[in-house]
Amino acid sequence: MNNNVQVLIKYLPIFIPLIILELALMVTALVHVLRHPHYRFGNKVMWIIIVVFIQIIGPIVYFVFGRGEDN
Amino acid sequence: MKDVWFFFKKELLESWRTYRFMILAVVFLIFALMSPFIAKLTPEIMKMSFGDSLGIKLPKPTSVDSWTQFYKNIAQIGIFVVAIMFGGTMSQELSRGTLINLVTKGLSRWAVVAAKYLCLVVEWVVVVSSAFFVTWGYTVYFFPDSRSPHVVAGFLPLLLFGLFFLAVILFGSTLARNSYGGLLFTILVMAVLYLVNLFKDAQNYNPVSLIGDNMALVQGTKDLAKLAPGMAIAVVATGCLLGGAVAVLNKKKLA
Repeated sequence: MNNNVQVLIKYLPIFIPLIILELALMVTALVHVLRHPHYRFGNKVMWIIIVVFIQIIGPIVYFVFGRGEDN
Repeated sequence: MKDVWFFFKKELLESWRTYRFMILAVVFLIFALMSPFIAKLTPEIMKMSFGDSLGIKLPKPTSVDSWTQFYKNIAQIGIFVVAIMFGGTMSQELSRGTLINLVTKGLSRWAVVAAKYLCLVVEWVVVVSSAFFVTWGYTVYFFPDSRSPHVVAGFLPLLLFGLFFLAVILFGSTLARNSYGGLLFTILVMAVLYLVNLFKDAQNYNPVSLIGDNMALVQGTKDLAKLAPGMAIAVVATGCLLGGAVAVLNKKKLA
């Protein structure tokens, strides 16, 4: 356990920006899911789960395939 | 020229509003952060999972491993993320008929192609350069050795290859009916280039070497001048593809 904490502290300069990037991506996608209730397929609950729980890939999949057309 | 500028601004705004630029930037930055990290951690992960039962002694990771990860990620995943993001850049406008108004009001068709290409290039250069500098910074921080002396020489071909690759995407997108057609065309071109790369004599002439030989360039075992024919071919092909895109667009019905 102690070893893991040491690794965490050693690589903090990488972890912090990485977490910020992931969170930024997740929040933008989540806001978009909530504000645009039309999707190419699937429903709101499904997209919220995908965006929140699948890191990095989830938001990208949403923006590329799931987002409905803005009219 | 004014037309190009206005359409260029519209394109930039579009890629911002559709989150394309943001996704690309985030993906490339994640690659940039992960590369030195994975390089540093691979031996520790191996040790953790195998313990002392691993017979061979693992070499200590160096800056070379970090850059290898970086170029592998960009060449194998990064450029295809670009292709997925921008595969519909022209075909979407054609299928939705959003160009009709602009063209009937006097926007020339070559200006559309030029502005779109310019916009793609600007985005590519910004995204890939920021990823490069981030990796460079972390590599110097985590691996203070002198095993990768020619860092910039390895990066320039990648930058140039991007210009060629974007021209391929734009041409494919103009040719295709939907965004997946453009993507398919891009993948086909890459497949052909990789097949050509099997012939050793053709390698220095092949644009795909620009993203394959980066590590040799970084370590200094290969000279940048050796790739000059490949670069020249990439530039000429870019010109041809853009000219072709204009020619195809001139013949296309806009809706």
